[in-house]
Amino acid sequence: MAAPPNLPPPDKLLEMAEQYLKELEKGPWPSHVAEMRKTGYPLHVYGVGLVARKSPWGPSAVKAKRLTGVLARIARDWVPKGGEEVHFRVFHTPGRFLPTSYLRGIIKVAREYGIGLVEVVGQTGAMVINVKSKEVGDAMIEALRQVGTDVGGSGDAIRELNTCVGPALCEFALYDTLKWFTEFRKDKKIHDAIAVPGFPYKFKIKFSGCPMDCGRANRADLGFIGTWKGAPEVDQELLRKKIEAGEADPNDLVSKCAGGAISWDAEKKELKIDGSRCKKCMYCIRKAYPAIKPGKERRVAVLVGGGSKGRYGPKLGWFVGYLKPDEVQKGIELVFKVIEPWDKEAQAKVRIGDYILMTGLYQFIEKAGIQLEDTPKLVEKLPDNVPYRVLPEEERKKYAQFAEELRRAVGI
Amino acid sequence: MSAIQLNIPNELDKFLPDIVKRNYGKWKERKFHGPGIIEHISETGERVFTVKAALPPNARVSVDTLEKFADIADKLGVGALRITIAGNVEFITDSLDKALKIKEELEKLGFPVGGWGGALWGINTCTAFLTCQIAVIDAPSIGKALGDALKPYFTGEEKLPAKLRVFISGCPSGCAGGTAIDIAIVGMWGAPPKIREEVLPLCMPPPKALAKIPESQVFLVQVCPTGALTLRREGEKIKLVLVGEKCINCGRCKDNCDAFDYDPKDVGAAILIGGKMANTGVGPRLARVLIPWIPANPPRYEEIVAVVKKVIDVWKTHGKPGERLADFVERIGWAKFVELVGAPKMAAQYLWWPDAARTYLTYRARGEVIFKGFRDAP
Repeated sequence: MAAPPNLPPPDKLLEMAEQYLKELEKGPWPSHVAEMRKTGYPLHVYGVGLVARKSPWGPSAVKAKRLTGVLARIARDWVPKGGEEVHFRVFHTPGRFLPTSYLRGIIKVAREYGIGLVEVVGQTGAMVINVKSKEVGDAMIEALRQVGTDVGGSGDAIRELNTCVGPALCEFALYDTLKWFTEFRKDKKIHDAIAVPGFPYKFKIKFSGCPMDCGRANRADLGFIGTWKGAPEVDQELLRKKIEAGEADPNDLVSKCAGGAISWDAEKKELKIDGSRCKKCMYCIRKAYPAIKPGKERRVAVLVGGGSKGRYGPKLGWFVGYLKPDEVQKGIELVFKVIEPWDKEAQAKVRIGDYILMTGLYQFIEKAGIQLEDTPKLVEKLPDNVPYRVLPEEERKKYAQFAEELRRAVGI
Repeated sequence: MSAIQLNIPNELDKFLPDIVKRNYGKWKERKFHGPGIIEHISETGERVFTVKAALPPNARVSVDTLEKFADIADKLGVGALRITIAGNVEFITDSLDKALKIKEELEKLGFPVGGWGGALWGINTCTAFLTCQIAVIDAPSIGKALGDALKPYFTGEEKLPAKLRVFISGCPSGCAGGTAIDIAIVGMWGAPPKIREEVLPLCMPPPKALAKIPESQVFLVQVCPTGALTLRREGEKIKLVLVGEKCINCGRCKDNCDAFDYDPKDVGAAILIGGKMANTGVGPRLARVLIPWIPANPPRYEEIVAVVKKVIDVWKTHGKPGERLADFVERIGWAKFVELVGAPKMAAQYLWWPDAARTYLTYRARGEVIFKGFRDAP
């Protein structure tokens, strides 16, 4: 980008940049500037950007033995003293648990080959580590591999997978998100698709244990959200105890139920939930766990086509069916089923959600060959302009038999 | 190992702390011990305490600080910590005393502890001017300014009706996490981009090829969703033209070519309200534009902070307990909410709630029909 108009002379600019940066170090919230001062990050470039109100970075490239996960920027020519910034996207651990031994390994690499700055979680879910210069890139990748992780997940490939904490620290997890996450990563095809970019645009896969969606799976290109069928289970005895202890309020449960499915029998002291009206909003479960538990018939809802970037802007995913909590392999197969028509037909820089908007959901489901439990089907419209016809005898017999059966069943 | 073969950390056993491994999937209850400390009780009778602290905007941490975190986790925790997607850090320990000590140590280091229940849960920002070349405004400094103003809501000194999260994206690409969140602040170009003719040839096919191929095959023309970018041919001369009225400032051209430039004096931020991801209440939904443009003045961004504080005040005074911002707006109605905030009258296009298309502005692209309503089909 060109230099913004009315930019002060270089000395004045750097001085103003420093003032802006000092201002950002004040205040009770932790400051990114204070953190970056402890590292080798070219802070003056950032400061100049703030003064100029324009991003100070321009595109650059770095030579490393990686196809994805490597990004480089160089300061624009109007930034005094210049500077460069190279960063690598590093895979996070399952559930983003960092044992200190592993963390210290990362710290050592970031110190030795990097500038000592780590973005502990980027918005893709990966960790981002800045590299000292373009030359040490390969050495750092080697060192990271010794620690037990690697660089990857940028560009038009499958990005770093994302998951909520799941059964590791949460009682609401309805399927084993962390196991699904690791199984997906171990799969050879997905592994290759992370390493090599080859799709029209990025593809994100996310896992959430329950409908509260902490993993933000509804926003992913392919999201897996744990849910159940029918009504939540109610342990009446335990619930009565909870109500007596004042931990739960039945009237509150009834009034806040999103689907209006809950009714409270004050005489019998029983809570009833109508499964057909339950919207799986988790309110009663959160308020009265474990007296009210999710139903036993667990499922994983599959959503396709969410995302914030793309031709038609932000959108949430579309439901395309249920998987069972142990059908990990089917989930992995589904990834490539979903990708195939999009990869074949979509233009460059069109995300799968935009592609679905263009083709239509039912056509997309047909093209991808998605056949899951409860996959939405377009009900064919009946030809209402020809309501009657002459029926052959066997068909008439069929209907007569049906009427007879019905008569017997009803008891007339 | 060959260079292309990735070495991804996959083994669950290796990365989960022992106490979590023993109680994996056996949790039955949770309790809160003041802001930022949560206790998980397992069927086996073991208890795990988690302490949550905020990290700087964009989760940028120096290795010195990370080392201090590791020391705390070794000394007082179970030798592991956890990073959340909201850009917070969680320390895991096995007794309340240790948890309180961790809280003390973290506050000494300058990292506020809090963020569960009716509180601010975290502020996500994209990298913007720290690394990004297409950012319009700087998100981390807005995150810092907002964090300073909203810290009492994080640490629990001031209560909120329900969970609140804030996303700040430097441009409409929405890298901070889209707009499905309570309060989203998105950088806006303000005016249509300017084309820098001297850079443009780098993004276009060579002139001889360009003269032969149809307009629809040119990548930059394809990328524009509204057809604001067109090719004009006048005899031998070919020119890329931008129709300002059709431009919706989506930034897709800038994503793909460096030749598109903007004037810093037009730049501002849009503020979007009332999205969420959880299925609670009224269900997941995208946020809606409350303010299409306000100035973004570094380094303290007083205007943005004022609007966010006003929105929170309205929600706090009128919202029922346990009601998230999206549910609150749904209950009282959008018009009433705008009136309570006192925002200026909006252009008609912002009042239409698009089901699937852009939340910033609505439009229909050339020759493309968006079939709405299939979300509700059987």
